[in-house]
Amino acid sequence: MFTDPASFSLNRRRTLFGLGSTLGTVAFNAMLQESLQAEVEEADPLAPKPPHLPGKAKACIFLYMAGGPSHIDTFDPKPKLDELHMKEFVRKDKFVSAMGSGKRYYVRSPFKFRRAGKSGLQMCENFHHLAKVADDLCIYRGCQGESINHPTANYHMNTGSRFGGEPGIGSWVNYGLGTVNQNLPGFVVLPEAQYPQGGAANWSNGYLPAHYQGTPLREKGSPILDLNPPAGITEEMQRRNLDLLAQLENDHRSNHPDHNELAARLHSYELAFRMQAEVPGLLDLTDESEKTREQYGIGNPDCDSFGRRCLLARRLVEKGVRFVQVFTAGWDSHDYLERAHGRRIRAVDQPMAALIQDLKQRDMLKDTLVVWCGEFGRTPDNGIRGGGARAGRDHNAKAMNILFAGGGLAGGRVVGGTDELGAEAVDVVHPIKDLHTTFLHMLGLDDNKLTYLHGGRFKQLSQTGGEVIKELVG
Amino acid sequence: MKSLAILLFASIPLGFGADLSEGERLFVQEVRPLFAEKCLACHGDRPNKLKGDYDMRTRATLLKGGESGNPAIIPGKPDQSPVYIAVTWKDSDLEMPPKENDRLDKNQIASIKKWIELGAPWVKAETSAHLSHENKDGKVTVKTSGGTSDAWTNRRYRPEDIWAYQPLTKPEIAVSKKTKNPIDAFVHAKLKKIGLKPASRADAKTLRRRVTFGLTGLPPEDDKPSPDSWEKLVDELLASPRYGERMAQHWLDVVRYADTSGFANDWERPHAWRYRDYVIRSFNQDKPFNQFTKEQIAGDEISPKNPSARIATGFLRMGPWEHTAMSVAAVTRQQFLDDATNTIGETFLAQGLKCASCHDHKFDPIPTRDYYRIQAALAPTQFAEPAVPFQEWESREFEERRTHLNNIQATGPEIITKLKKEESFNRIKKKRADYLQNAFKRFSPSAFAVKSAGAPKTRILTGGSIESPGAFVSPGVLSVSQFQVQVPTSAQGRRRALAEWIASDLNPLTARVIVNRVWQWHFGTGLVVSTNNFGKMGGPPSHPELLDWLAGWFIKNDWSIKKLHRLILTSETYQQCHTPPNPDKTAKFDPNNRLLSWFPPRRLTAEEIRDSMLMTSGELDFTMGGPGIFPFINEEVALQPRHIMGGIAMSYQASPTRSLRNRRSIYIFRIRTLADPSMEVFNKPGPDASCEKRDETIVTPQVFTLFNGQTARNRAVALAHRIAKEEKDQGVRIERAFQLVYGRLPTEKQKAATRQHLTDLEKHHRITKPQTPQPATSVRRQMVAEQSGELFEWTEHLVTETIEPDLKMQHLDDSTRALADLCLVLFNSSEFLYVY
Repeated sequence: MFTDPASFSLNRRRTLFGLGSTLGTVAFNAMLQESLQAEVEEADPLAPKPPHLPGKAKACIFLYMAGGPSHIDTFDPKPKLDELHMKEFVRKDKFVSAMGSGKRYYVRSPFKFRRAGKSGLQMCENFHHLAKVADDLCIYRGCQGESINHPTANYHMNTGSRFGGEPGIGSWVNYGLGTVNQNLPGFVVLPEAQYPQGGAANWSNGYLPAHYQGTPLREKGSPILDLNPPAGITEEMQRRNLDLLAQLENDHRSNHPDHNELAARLHSYELAFRMQAEVPGLLDLTDESEKTREQYGIGNPDCDSFGRRCLLARRLVEKGVRFVQVFTAGWDSHDYLERAHGRRIRAVDQPMAALIQDLKQRDMLKDTLVVWCGEFGRTPDNGIRGGGARAGRDHNAKAMNILFAGGGLAGGRVVGGTDELGAEAVDVVHPIKDLHTTFLHMLGLDDNKLTYLHGGRFKQLSQTGGEVIKELVG
Repeated sequence: MKSLAILLFASIPLGFGADLSEGERLFVQEVRPLFAEKCLACHGDRPNKLKGDYDMRTRATLLKGGESGNPAIIPGKPDQSPVYIAVTWKDSDLEMPPKENDRLDKNQIASIKKWIELGAPWVKAETSAHLSHENKDGKVTVKTSGGTSDAWTNRRYRPEDIWAYQPLTKPEIAVSKKTKNPIDAFVHAKLKKIGLKPASRADAKTLRRRVTFGLTGLPPEDDKPSPDSWEKLVDELLASPRYGERMAQHWLDVVRYADTSGFANDWERPHAWRYRDYVIRSFNQDKPFNQFTKEQIAGDEISPKNPSARIATGFLRMGPWEHTAMSVAAVTRQQFLDDATNTIGETFLAQGLKCASCHDHKFDPIPTRDYYRIQAALAPTQFAEPAVPFQEWESREFEERRTHLNNIQATGPEIITKLKKEESFNRIKKKRADYLQNAFKRFSPSAFAVKSAGAPKTRILTGGSIESPGAFVSPGVLSVSQFQVQVPTSAQGRRRALAEWIASDLNPLTARVIVNRVWQWHFGTGLVVSTNNFGKMGGPPSHPELLDWLAGWFIKNDWSIKKLHRLILTSETYQQCHTPPNPDKTAKFDPNNRLLSWFPPRRLTAEEIRDSMLMTSGELDFTMGGPGIFPFINEEVALQPRHIMGGIAMSYQASPTRSLRNRRSIYIFRIRTLADPSMEVFNKPGPDASCEKRDETIVTPQVFTLFNGQTARNRAVALAHRIAKEEKDQGVRIERAFQLVYGRLPTEKQKAATRQHLTDLEKHHRITKPQTPQPATSVRRQMVAEQSGELFEWTEHLVTETIEPDLKMQHLDDSTRALADLCLVLFNSSEFLYVY
């Protein structure tokens, strides 16, 4: 209800107890007799719930690299490709796309690799910052997807189904665990200004109740749509309008005493005010020390956007948000691999490392699971687009890297492996549904019990049930 | 296969096995099939991959247990047998089968308990195979085309789980002198049984609002007096063109209508709107539902010369689908076939078929073979965009729309960054040109349709995978139904046979399914709750006799939806008030009001909220049909970059005139990857999965949308402007606002409070002048060139000059602005948003 977000910090306290009190203390309480209040609270679908299992992670920050980051050029070195570089071959697949046929050339990684940390985890040299937290990272190389198209693969990784329309992981987690901070949504998405392929269906609540939908905090403009009234409507005017509404609701409710939704509606107006009070402050990163902001790379044009959102993710989790998903795109390097991937690595390296260090320093890493992945990995060859200096890599669902940190997981480890070319996973191989089952397990949820009856079937994130990847969770 | 099933039954030697003990019989009939269905997948079928090292294939290993080293069954002592403890799910460390979907029901658990009590006896499979067919405790086997295992084929069902596949019964009606409408006879009889009384009749005003929203999705016309009888009112509404628009919305929810294809490119389907208009017209014409069904599934084969029937087949292509250079043709083809197969099942038969694409259905008598038999009936189906001349009933109001597209085309994107190679930017321009070229096809007379060609052979895909083709199947229908037809194997006529089977008077499902949907459209909940699923997991009907009676009545009355409405709406059950007459008893015996002792209130749907605001403000344009329209949506969302293959999609740009923008919501152009957030927040379903029923969740962003959002505010401004133009006196203005939004006058107390409110706000408005936000004229776009890795920027110019703006706050004087605030408050109130 603020016309000028900048004036917010000055007015915050007054507003919280001023505007909020319109419905919050006077009219609102008068309308909600205690019994009804209790009913609203009892029925609150977002109330915190105990986990199924003693999971170590209580929150999750999911860093999503849309476009398909190349495992071969990040965390899964393939020296064999140096030998085969620019050697021609023909892929023999039974089911090939128009882009999958024709001549291909193997492409070596343009990056050098090194061993980092005490554990000697291998990663590409360009990860200067991430190397410092190598001993906190667990790299999983065994995951396989089913789709090499961006939107279907995005849907698969984010919702468990390739076709969209199903709840996102964050929705499931909130459905299972509820949310701690009632003033904020339990599932927050931090997209780039440009949404990933497949759009908002990547964080949809699907058939779960709408409370569990991912709320995008938009990178530009109003963080939540229509959070504030249009310019020219003052706080005072807004407050008077709400007073009148409260009166009308009161009258209406006394005429319809059996209609319970009315109480819940009023409740939603109160929640809205609390959110209005909390959100702008939350987004104001000037609260943070200069050092912290620098650490995340804020102000550095290479990684400012991702850095801001990683810092925001930490702030959200600190405030009790259960699941934060940060999206960043641009990993679809069909050409000019060195330049394109190099740029993306610069964009995420420092913020990711800062996030892990910051969480650790605040003693939050132990119960915050950090995940890094894309929708698929990339091929050891150039695909059919070009060759020579502009070589890139094609989509590859048969191999990818998933990084984990925190959430009680032991770091400095590599789990699973790919063949000597990085063409497909060969060790500790699991489909995405097992990965999902494992995510849930890490958060103390049992995929087989986290079900929702819809269309006559108990639906679950893994769709048909998955296995916990034991090598990952120990 | 049918003959095989009969043979199997015939071969049972009667009386064989009579010498088995009670425990052995229990084992053969209950326990072994349960183990086979629920346990062996992990504990026996793959002997080298036994979970927990536990093998349930022999009695010795079954009793011995697995890796824990403890015995799993102690004969005679179920409470000490881990197997029994596991199936009860009482010990959270030991719950089997582990999936919610597979949990045993209490009868199954009791069988296992009893069997262990009786010493857990074992009978060799070969000496007892036939016994599982024996009818005991009312369970029955059913004939189907046969499952992938004998255990499945011979599976026994509780009759109440397979009611939907049985022929319609003809229940007796207990019509008394008091109950004229048979519906009431059925409903009251059930209520009486548990000692509940129906609620009294709602008042005339409430009823008029209820039925008007129910049949037209709009509030009653304020200035029009209500007809003198209920029947006349109902008939008047059924005759209104608004009726078809409202019914079509229900239908489009089920079939997932959208104007674009979804996924990576989200290409426009420029002729899809003709299907939408076909649906509206069909309801308005009261096209018999069996004909409506046949046209959508096989209109091209049944009446190829009938333009409506050609357009109708767009139904088969309504799901999201795309094929790109990255796609494998065989895969996307199969996606279409799977989608069409499942959709036909859900839509007409309330039988989701997707499960059966990979395995025999877990709960329902649908073998995977049936899935592919139905798919074989669709196998010759090919996409087609045939020329179908525009009909007199179709809107050809194209000029404004075409000019607008021309204007958009004229404002090409402009590069900002100096690129070494312009290839990437050229691709952006090319993509935009392709989208626009496609958009211009909206005005050309083609249909989004299908045709039949070729006679491909269909094979069962093992596990649903095209990489594992199995046995060949011939086209067919659901084999569980007693009523069967022959589906030809020729290219032409397969779908026709399938459609005729579905739309037949003898099909056990179709009439029940649509009657149940219509019931839900009025009462919020169907007689069967899950209107897309009549299988076991859908739950039994609350009033099975009523459902069958209604279905029979409906068929006898020529499958007329309008007649069905009339029957339902003239019942006392429909006309009850929303107050439970005996709340304590209701809470105890019928907390969900399945028995309908009162009428359940509902919130308006997203479309009704928008349409009602438009109608109240006098802005609603009733023009029907034509290519989709584009209302203003939140500007941040409209201009938000959307990633499509190889670039960024064109911005959302609103239709140029108020007249176009203010059409009913059913005519809004539906973009799969761009939802209007103000609709979505009020539970407009996503267009990718079939929506059988709208949700009514209450979430905080609704407050932001209705209190701060542009759509609601602009409607409030228009309403205030309308009232201020008509009336000068403040008191009369207040009365008018209440009358228009609520359909009633304010109470004295409300009037006084509102007066005070207006006076106060006017003071504020005198000081605070509204600011004039200018619509964006261009938007800056940025992306990394895929070809070179360079970051580049360009400007997308937007069409603004030819856009007629909405009326805004700054156009109003101080007192009218205060009035607009009042109108906004009224639009936010529950009295406006709920129907009782």
